[in-house]
Amino acid sequence: MRQAYRIIPIYTADVSGVCSALYELGGMTVMHDPSGCNSTYNTHDEIRWYDQDSLIFISGLTDIDAIMGNDEKFLRDIEDVAEELKPKFIALASSPIPFMNGTDFPGLARALTAETGIPAFSVSTSGMHDYVYGAGLALSEIARHFTGAAEKRKRKLNLLGVTPLDFGPQPMVDAMKRRLEKYGWEILSTWAMGDTLEDLSHAGEAEVNLVVSSVGIPAANVLREKFGTPFLVGTPVEGYEGEISDALEKAAESPCEAFEDKKENSAEKSGAQISGEQEELWKVTPDQVIYLRKKDSPLSGFIPTPDITLIGEPVTMGSLAAVIEQKYRKKVQLLCSLEITEGLLRQEDEVIRGEEAMEEKLKTARIIVADPLYRPICPESATFYEMPHIAFSGRIYLKNLYNFRKTT
Amino acid sequence: MIRVAVYGKGGIGKSTTVSNVAAALAEKGMKVMQIGCDPKADSTILLRHGKKVPTVLDLYNEKRQDLKLADMVQIGYGGVVCVEAGGPTPGLGCAGRGIITALEKLKETGAYETYKPDIVLYDVLGDVVCGGFSMPMRKGYADKVFIITSGENMAIHAGANIAMAVENFRSRGYASLGGLILNRRNVPREEEKVRELAEDFHTQVVGTLSRSDLVLAAEEQGKTLLETYPESEMAGEYRTLAEQILNACREDGTC
Repeated sequence: MRQAYRIIPIYTADVSGVCSALYELGGMTVMHDPSGCNSTYNTHDEIRWYDQDSLIFISGLTDIDAIMGNDEKFLRDIEDVAEELKPKFIALASSPIPFMNGTDFPGLARALTAETGIPAFSVSTSGMHDYVYGAGLALSEIARHFTGAAEKRKRKLNLLGVTPLDFGPQPMVDAMKRRLEKYGWEILSTWAMGDTLEDLSHAGEAEVNLVVSSVGIPAANVLREKFGTPFLVGTPVEGYEGEISDALEKAAESPCEAFEDKKENSAEKSGAQISGEQEELWKVTPDQVIYLRKKDSPLSGFIPTPDITLIGEPVTMGSLAAVIEQKYRKKVQLLCSLEITEGLLRQEDEVIRGEEAMEEKLKTARIIVADPLYRPICPESATFYEMPHIAFSGRIYLKNLYNFRKTT
Repeated sequence: MIRVAVYGKGGIGKSTTVSNVAAALAEKGMKVMQIGCDPKADSTILLRHGKKVPTVLDLYNEKRQDLKLADMVQIGYGGVVCVEAGGPTPGLGCAGRGIITALEKLKETGAYETYKPDIVLYDVLGDVVCGGFSMPMRKGYADKVFIITSGENMAIHAGANIAMAVENFRSRGYASLGGLILNRRNVPREEEKVRELAEDFHTQVVGTLSRSDLVLAAEEQGKTLLETYPESEMAGEYRTLAEQILNACREDGTC
């Protein structure tokens, strides 16, 4: 029973991540799926669904389609729709059934490009990873296929890894952007909220990239390889923008070694050919993660009983932890149940697998900041601050999103 | 109703043997149903004289909810009820899941109640390569599994794998091993090797078939040997084998 979830939900799946990341970019996202649970990624997880159009399609895969491998039907359906709607790209995403069947999505994407002339790519989802994985890979495909040669421009940056699943509605994102703009930074593009595919295509002009959630890491690595753009990891939550701006300035001054190494043989490489081993795509080094740079904090290191416990995504919550520690001199620990945490957690943070382990860990917590759906497994003695996380509770708490409210 | 599944290495002569056994049983007055469980869909080709039969999966793919039993069935030589499960185009889809679906569709459309066969012969693709190909031996389908093998090492090896699968599934109430059928290729120590395989799995060689050019000659005519050379010695061997299979099934009362 250690991995069973009886009370709290799990984070939304990779397929929702793909739909969310590509929602505003004018492409056509096709889920190869029986259409049993598409309300998950279209409505429960998608706060823009009723206000903003997006071309998200479900193939309506049936048992006999899967058995007979009716790939041609899948392709013809997409081609018919693409001819009518003229999307800027076609993104294919897999679900558990085609994953088990071993459907060749990269091959199908190549066939679609050849047939329609529209750039097509696939995201290797299976429905068994969490949203970070799907959204991250989807944005890396955009970086591969749609960014072109560019001259670097001073104090320009891209924000990578921005979806409503982590950041909520657009005003939250605008507020984050303004914090950096106050320090003289111009945000070239935000991947991918509030900007068009055209905006994103100029990403190579940035002198530095800022990964504001773990979703942005693969795109950052692709842009680093394509344009030599250095990147840092950290979210400009309120009170943290100054430190982030300082770090960005230093990073912008440093040449990117990986790019220099590859410059000689990169001439014949097109964006789509960039080597993309999964492990490399998610790689970050400790010097890239701003909130891991503990200069003189007396609070760093192992903490048996933290003052404050945060639960959530490593980059946004890691940055929040850094601000709280600096401002209030309280010991903060982050508990994370997401899949991708390598290189993103501080020494005192912990990866927690399963509801039972989380409940056990929270028994001694005094102050907890987490999505409201965590509350039933928190001890009554703890003070609970609601911090809705759409990737965890969907639209339920949208109205009071990020409205920190002391409830006990 | 006696229900039998026949497995064995690809190319060992399963379909030819099963079709001739089906014809021999039909001669005895039994109502026989032969179900080919192979995407190649050629198990019953000799019984239906090369005439095309749409496969269960092709029909389901085309008609979906309007699938009709009559479309899936063709009556072959001796009144044998012929069915081909079929499967996807090579390289696509999932053949194993296809076998499961095809057998389920036959059940759903009342194939066994409608045709009321005395014996059902499932002729299954070479090996138990995935869950789908174990479907014919699952509870509710075959009661006995027979493995056709020669003395060739690869055939023995495949036979051992199949026997192992049957043994592994014992606790699940699957079919039990009815025995081995030696289809001679006249390789050295042939009988000894097949007997050893039978001993390893605590079973017996229930029947033996000679290597005969007449079988090939009948195939050339697109028919079973029972139909083309009914008086031949080889036809006698098939008739004997049919009796031996029936006896093996009746012995422990499971069939």
